[in-house]
Amino acid sequence: MIEQIILLPIVLPLVAGFYYLLVPKKFHAVTGIMAFLITFANLLVTVVLFDKKFSFTLPWVGIGLDFSLRLYHFSSFIILAVSLFGFLITLYSLVFIRGKFGVKYFFAYFLLTLGLANGAVLADNLMVMLFFWEALLVTLFGFIAIGNKGAFKTAAKAFIIIGISDLCMMIGIVLTGRLAGTLTMSEINLPLTGLSSLAFVLLMIGAISKGGSMPFHSWIPDAATDAPLPFMALVPGALEKLLGIYFLTRISLDMFQLKEHSPLSTAMMTIGALTIILAVMMALIQKDYKRLLSYHAISQVGYMVLGIGTAVPAGIVGGLFHMINNALYKSGLFLTGGSVEKQTGTTNLEELGGLAKKMPITFCCFLITALSISGVWPFNGFFSKELVYDGALERGWIFYFVAVLGSFFTAASFLKLGHAAFLGKLNEKYKAVKEVAFPMWFPTATIAGLCILFGVWNAFPLKRFIEPILGAERLEGKSFAGFPTNMTLVVITFVVLIAAVLNHLYGVKSKGSGLKAVDHIHYAPVLSEIYDRAQKRYLDPYEWGMGFMRFVSRIAFWFDRAIDWIYEDLAVRTTAVFTNGIKKLHNGNFSTYLSWSLVGFLLVAILLLRPF
Amino acid sequence: MTYEQILLSAIFVPITGAFLVPLAGRVSRFLRNGLSLVLILFSFSCSLVLLPHVFSGQPVFFSYVLPLGLDFVFVADKLAVFMSLVSTLISSVIIFYSFGYISHYENQNEYYCMVVLFLGAMVGLVFSANLIFLYLFWEITAVTSWRLIGFFRERKQVLKADKAFLVTVFGALLMLLGFVQIYQQTGTFVLTHAALPNVAVVLILCGILSKSATLPFHTWLPDAGVAPSPVTALLHAAILVKIGVYVYARLFISSYSIDVFWQTAVPVIAAASALVSAGAALVETDLKRLIAYSTVSQIGFIFFGLAIGNEMALVGGLLYILMHGLAKAGLFLCAGIVEQNAKTKNITELGGLMTTMPKTAISFLLCAFSVMGIPPFGGFFSKYMVFSGAIEAGQVWISLVFLIGAFMTILYLFRVFNMVFLGESKGHEAKEQDSSMVFSVVLLAILSLVGGILIAFPSMLAHDTAVQMLAKVIP
Repeated sequence: MIEQIILLPIVLPLVAGFYYLLVPKKFHAVTGIMAFLITFANLLVTVVLFDKKFSFTLPWVGIGLDFSLRLYHFSSFIILAVSLFGFLITLYSLVFIRGKFGVKYFFAYFLLTLGLANGAVLADNLMVMLFFWEALLVTLFGFIAIGNKGAFKTAAKAFIIIGISDLCMMIGIVLTGRLAGTLTMSEINLPLTGLSSLAFVLLMIGAISKGGSMPFHSWIPDAATDAPLPFMALVPGALEKLLGIYFLTRISLDMFQLKEHSPLSTAMMTIGALTIILAVMMALIQKDYKRLLSYHAISQVGYMVLGIGTAVPAGIVGGLFHMINNALYKSGLFLTGGSVEKQTGTTNLEELGGLAKKMPITFCCFLITALSISGVWPFNGFFSKELVYDGALERGWIFYFVAVLGSFFTAASFLKLGHAAFLGKLNEKYKAVKEVAFPMWFPTATIAGLCILFGVWNAFPLKRFIEPILGAERLEGKSFAGFPTNMTLVVITFVVLIAAVLNHLYGVKSKGSGLKAVDHIHYAPVLSEIYDRAQKRYLDPYEWGMGFMRFVSRIAFWFDRAIDWIYEDLAVRTTAVFTNGIKKLHNGNFSTYLSWSLVGFLLVAILLLRPF
Repeated sequence: MTYEQILLSAIFVPITGAFLVPLAGRVSRFLRNGLSLVLILFSFSCSLVLLPHVFSGQPVFFSYVLPLGLDFVFVADKLAVFMSLVSTLISSVIIFYSFGYISHYENQNEYYCMVVLFLGAMVGLVFSANLIFLYLFWEITAVTSWRLIGFFRERKQVLKADKAFLVTVFGALLMLLGFVQIYQQTGTFVLTHAALPNVAVVLILCGILSKSATLPFHTWLPDAGVAPSPVTALLHAAILVKIGVYVYARLFISSYSIDVFWQTAVPVIAAASALVSAGAALVETDLKRLIAYSTVSQIGFIFFGLAIGNEMALVGGLLYILMHGLAKAGLFLCAGIVEQNAKTKNITELGGLMTTMPKTAISFLLCAFSVMGIPPFGGFFSKYMVFSGAIEAGQVWISLVFLIGAFMTILYLFRVFNMVFLGESKGHEAKEQDSSMVFSVVLLAILSLVGGILIAFPSMLAHDTAVQMLAKVIP
């Protein structure tokens, strides 16, 4: 087997992406078809590469910075997933994007994103990884910016948030390189002490911010409304989770020795738990299909961070399994949202309703993916969540409690969403709505099918993909496939889900509509105040950061002005005083000059006559 | 031609040619413009010819012995050739841009004469291996930049030009005192290896910091934004402010040795400078002043890399000079297009230019990406290497301060991009009228990108240069 083939998943999409960017429009009449073929070829290559093992190095920057790639089980699994989503969503976009904004740019950024993501995963040198990882910023920016009119602002926000955390990662990488004496990821294994903890934290910031965890999340809901929908399904829905969690796993499993009960592990779990609960609370009250989903995209990453942060096998396996499951059902959900948007022209839940009969396939897909995300047996979300619960409980009941509470609200918000969009009364406007075309429902249905497969036959993904990542040694010979072993937890989950259904029925009964089913939570005392502030963005960490930077820059600015004052004012005035003094001595008066001469003469005399 | 002759002609052809430029201007515009471009391209090609020879490890010397340690010595080593290549490359693009920009104004003959003279002096400075000649060329650049900043001849411009001149010359005089002290110690003005006393280092640093517009001598630089845009690009971004940085590298790294103390002190000054000016850039509303503050801030990063002084940091610092020069020149030239067409520099009055000047907007964005240090643009590598070298040297805390500086870089560049190119138009309509100007900014944006994608070549040059500097082979 020729080793250069490892370059294909990177080079192929990148070259095609650049081609779209540079070549004038008339040369790519078949834009979409070509993109489709390329993502398909990319998928085939990654299938061939799956579970192969080899390294590949090219000279690059010099100074010890080589372009080294490494294919092994974990990286080949992630690129396979990336390519699968790339392929399915291209197919979906063929129809979705037709007749909209710059098709050329859409596919250009799409392909570039794929190539860069593959590069980041395959990289074996941290610098190479950073190169691809951070370059994703440019495509992220472009991707969001081609959305609707106000999208540039959101694009800038996303760029700033992720750019700043990527810079943290840059410092983390050079620090790791210094401590370990190498940048080769597979050779690094550092204990967490002093400086290496700092390095770990900086790298973790990069990883969880890519994943979309709090406090780096706030661009995602904005992007949901501004960016083109396939972007949401591809990037925040799937790729960013895959990349962020991939790297988080790499640093906590291989590159650093993250031990359970260490402060950093607890810190990670806390971030995860907070992300789960805060984001899902926001999702609950959203009145827009896509915006609601975007908060779930944030909330779900909390489960993964929590799971990996536990540093116990059940939690890590759960976190990783949840990563792939979430990528499936979340992109599936976004695609159903896109189908609704395509056919009705809106995603505003107040206008939607009763679409189940008009769009039965989309509804079925929605149902399956929503049940998966809510963690209902036998769909995939159930199994991964149970594993995360298991791990969380090992580390403290509070983490478990928050995770389960998160599930309650997740189920509640999807009951609301499904009810508001697909059930209830059909809006008169949408009488003529039809099911979407084959290229749009096929990817969605495929993803929904995978959600069932990964649940019913969870031994397949767990044994084939997830468990080898940890290795037999770390798993201590155990396997997590099959039905959960801890029946108490399963019972609690069922109780919570039933509670969510009851809560929904209560809400519908008291307010009379699916959309308002959670109003009794939204407008509960205290909560309504908090919601009010959150909706006005008072609680957005991005806004806080920007406010802080404005304050700092004000101070810097005044400091700068103060220095300038020395040149503009102080220096000028001092000179003026001095020269005016001298000027006065030259008044043209003979007696003045004579007296100065006399004084001068005396001084010279004293100088000459002084005793040596 | 021998390599010695090539070396001399790289310096003296533009310097003498500069005085022919006004004469050519009396004959025809095209002749004058062409002559200026040819003179600078000539210098560029000389550096290009020297490149393979010098990088194969054979520096070129020219020396003519004079009494009192005033030997007339020029050296083309890797550092000098690298620097002269960068300067002449960027100024060729800038002068091409000037064809469009300056054609609307009076005193064009003087403009081209001064620009070419400036560049000749710059190349002379770069190749000088004698402190007194270095000082002479240094002051020629000061005088020409004084004329160029005051190009518009109104009271405000003239005052700002005076300010720039006074501050930099004040620093230069202190530096001259430092040179005298070196002479007292070594008995010659020719660069040698010696350990310098701290007083001399302080005096020379005053000169370097004032020329490179670093805290506390930096405020002349934003004020000099009153100059025509190609001048600000030439002076602020690409070349003049790099003189200080270059002299730092030349004196304190590749020739004399200084106290270890400075490896901490200079980064601290640079960090303060980077933060203060980045903060000011976040508040400033004048487009060109804002970009000038950004330059001050980025110069801090270059000093950081050079002062740390290990191999990685030096390579980073040198690449930073190149990448920042390209990208920042692009930003200034874009600002020039905006300013000339929209008739205002106040960013609060601008907006929505993305639709009317898309090429300028995209070029601005690409150059901004490079300054921010986003891959695959060249700025990424230089920033990475500077940080990498600093951490290698154990300067973790100062690196974290610079990290904040890097955050702020992203913030202010996005702020200015948003305000100028996005949002709603506020009544200042503008179009891209002159194709030579647009071509120049697009070229700089592409060079920033290509510099990153084909990083192997510049990084190899910078690496060889750093190795030679650290070995102190030359002079």
